[in-house]
Amino acid sequence: MTNGNASSGDWEGRYFHVDQILDRPGPRTDPSFLAGEEVKDFLRNKCKILVIGAGGLGCEILANLALSGFKDIHVIDMDTIDISNLNRQFLFRQKDVGQPKAIVAAEFIMNRIPGVKVTPYYGKIQDKDDDYYMQFNLVICGLDSVEARRWINATLVNLVDPENPESLKPLIDGGTEGFKGQARVILPTVTSCYECSLDMLNKPTAFPICTIANTPRLPEHCIEWASVLEWPRVHGDQKLDTDDPEHIGWLYSIASARAKEFKIEGVSWSLTQGVVKNIIPAIASTNAIIAASCCNEAFKIATSSAAYLNNYFMLIGTDGVYSYTFEHERREDCPVCGGEALDVSIGKEWTVERLIEMLVEKQDIQIKKPSLSSGAKHIYFQAPPQLEEATRPNLEKMVSELVPDGGEITVTASSLPFSLSLRVKYV
Amino acid sequence: MKMTESQDIEQATTAIAAQPDNKTRRYDRQLRLWAASGQAALESSRVLVLSASATSTSILKNLVLPGIGHFTLVDSTLVSPADAGNNFFLNGRDSIGKSRAQEAVPLLRELNESVQGEAVVSDVKELLSSDSGREWITGFSLVIAHNLAKPVVDDLAALLWDDLANPPLIVVNSAGFLAEFFISISRALWYAASPHTDAIPTLRITRPFPALLQWARDLDLENMDPTTHAHIPFVIILVRAVDLWRREHNGALPTTMAEKRAFKESVLAMKIKPDEENFDEAEQQAWRVWSEPAVPSEISALFSLPELQQPSTSSDTNALPNPTFHALLRTLSAYVRLQRVYREQAAAEKTLFKELLAQVYPELAQKIDPDEVDTFVKNSHHVRVLRGRPWRAWDKERDVVVSSLSATPRESATHLALSALSTLLAQSSDISEITVDSLKKEVQSFVGPDVELPEEVDTAIGELARAPTADLPNMAAFLGGMVAQEAIKMITQQYVPVCGYCVLDLVDSWTGIVG
Ligand SMILES: [Zn+2]
Repeated sequence: MTNGNASSGDWEGRYFHVDQILDRPGPRTDPSFLAGEEVKDFLRNKCKILVIGAGGLGCEILANLALSGFKDIHVIDMDTIDISNLNRQFLFRQKDVGQPKAIVAAEFIMNRIPGVKVTPYYGKIQDKDDDYYMQFNLVICGLDSVEARRWINATLVNLVDPENPESLKPLIDGGTEGFKGQARVILPTVTSCYECSLDMLNKPTAFPICTIANTPRLPEHCIEWASVLEWPRVHGDQKLDTDDPEHIGWLYSIASARAKEFKIEGVSWSLTQGVVKNIIPAIASTNAIIAASCCNEAFKIATSSAAYLNNYFMLIGTDGVYSYTFEHERREDCPVCGGEALDVSIGKEWTVERLIEMLVEKQDIQIKKPSLSSGAKHIYFQAPPQLEEATRPNLEKMVSELVPDGGEITVTASSLPFSLSLRVKYV
Repeated sequence: MKMTESQDIEQATTAIAAQPDNKTRRYDRQLRLWAASGQAALESSRVLVLSASATSTSILKNLVLPGIGHFTLVDSTLVSPADAGNNFFLNGRDSIGKSRAQEAVPLLRELNESVQGEAVVSDVKELLSSDSGREWITGFSLVIAHNLAKPVVDDLAALLWDDLANPPLIVVNSAGFLAEFFISISRALWYAASPHTDAIPTLRITRPFPALLQWARDLDLENMDPTTHAHIPFVIILVRAVDLWRREHNGALPTTMAEKRAFKESVLAMKIKPDEENFDEAEQQAWRVWSEPAVPSEISALFSLPELQQPSTSSDTNALPNPTFHALLRTLSAYVRLQRVYREQAAAEKTLFKELLAQVYPELAQKIDPDEVDTFVKNSHHVRVLRGRPWRAWDKERDVVVSSLSATPRESATHLALSALSTLLAQSSDISEITVDSLKKEVQSFVGPDVELPEEVDTAIGELARAPTADLPNMAAFLGGMVAQEAIKMITQQYVPVCGYCVLDLVDSWTGIVG
């Protein structure tokens, strides 16, 4: 048996395990599967894959892809290594703290697994243009940011050109929280996309300001009091840096004092940091499961050796092992992959400001700082400053004065590479 | 103003000193799940892993990173070209020809300096053949075995099952896209199902303990000064409203929509000023009254455990002990009082629990660590008991297996196919003898000749015949996460490990439980 390629670094028998899958089909393998040399050649010599994120999921993803036989891997991450990453991001050591994740991870993989090329980019996904994303066959995402996921999702949906099948880049997305996680396969414009499922996200808990100010009863209330009310009062314009231990220390001491005053137990350094940074618990094992699931799907898609996930796998490991595999349905009115405008019913007397508040709040929209226009008419723009100033008086106006019943409003935000069409109905 | 500033500086300085040490910072993201108690349990654990396969090293990676105390990796074989290609914890082709265990251990240890680890170049079958080897194996806190030969696993499982003091065993088998693992645990262990949650399980509003009820009944709403009135805790308002409601409704709680509405109105009618938020809060929390605080079904099931002796006395409220609940309460004086009332009740119930324990299990009560009793009582709403079964006990109940094959064909077929594969692999080292036909024959002989096999059996068998000895990197990583997660739950006694065979299929991406 040969290795199916002549890449340097390979040795006889290197892919003994993976080749058992690639040399013959299984009962559920699609007839289009080309068992043997051809598929190995594609996987090991031609396929180019992009990994977004070199953190908890990213480290695992890079290792799995490299062992599975992907040889041309690119990785993007804008973060540097922190000590709290070391309990799970297994390509990093104490000496690497402060270094860029993408670069350290790429070097580690290339050292450990000969013949694999990992090209790192230390920066933002938004730095790259369509041509960059066009060069890949597949994209795997291991991100903790909703905003970055929405961006890459919309970018890959926009990239699809019906005339050019190569322009459809499967997007495999993973996410974890504690003992729970999910992996999904998105075929842009074909299956449900990330934006379609936005309402599945948990809403972050927000405490009412009056509770924080007057009647605290949870340790979190004391911490919010310190960060939301006391920090700006005492420090004025100095911005709170949640990565600065001195800043966290200050908040901790203020929150502790308040907790003592109100006889509330449970304010700790770690809780203070967790509340102000919105820290999500993360462990190696859950990341391993979800990253493996993502890479398994990438392997199946790249080789056609078995059917791939359609289209959502979720796992809950807190009480036994529970998982659920299902097809998440596309949303007809998805602002990214659907064609239709989203219907919204609002009161006739609603002001533009109130509509904006609603858009920020609404679970299936979640747009920070939206700008609104209707046709060529500017309703309200967040930027540039001159335009903001010019449109600011509209905030007080009723929407019904500016847009007729059944009219459309276009919503944009700088953080998102798409616009959302709303069809307003007054009730 | 000056006072405040100087105070701030002083506080800030002390706080910087209070910044967590390196270890706490390193483990921050996991301490949020299992706290210092879980971490301490991990750090005192000694894990034995049998075979240095890609799957085994993946499992170990996920145990070394969170910081178990010690691991031992046993393997007698040398690194093959195939191992060097699929195991991340080897040095590529440089490792070929060297001991699998010895090559892997340093690469695992470098993941976490605080974890000790050693390689033992021995054959598991040989270890099991000597008394000293058998004793050595039982000295760990957990044993994990991947793809060991069937007779070896059977022997190992019987050894560990034999004595309640022996460590639990996790048996892991995988081939290609299919896998399963099983936890064999001879003693029953209790677990906290959702530790460290702030959720208040019950406030005992519908079954108030005497101090709570007395307070609610003693309220003199008419003659109370307005400030006190506006600060009656919502719990007390609800206890009072329920008490009044029950008197007028033959002891029943509101059930219909109309009754629920009437109940809410009765709460709001107690207001003396429209802006009394405490009454609004009581109305919002009225849902707590719609049902009795039943003991969760998982918990009531525990009372029928065969080992349990029924206590001769029982608490009259028939509710679980109250965890001290400081968090929910306002700190105005009424809330301080409320907090105290709950705390005193919790303390009283803990004392009662200890008395019952001493009465029913006098020997146990003397031996048990008081801290453990405290933790148990505190988690009483989330207690689960895991009762293991011996390895392959389920498979011996043929009727059960056959009915499971029709009830959950996918999961059962995958389990049976993997069992058939281990049987065949133990019989012959010639891989070419593992075919769709030989596997099917084995499954058929296992369930009996009359049983018609569902198509799921063909699906599973076909996948195994395709890749009977493949330890795929993605499956190894997936299992590495799953098995480590269960190991962590067992070691920390937090969250609940899986019971039965946990079966995985990475073609259709599902997991399931059978047996
Ligand atoms: Zn969509």
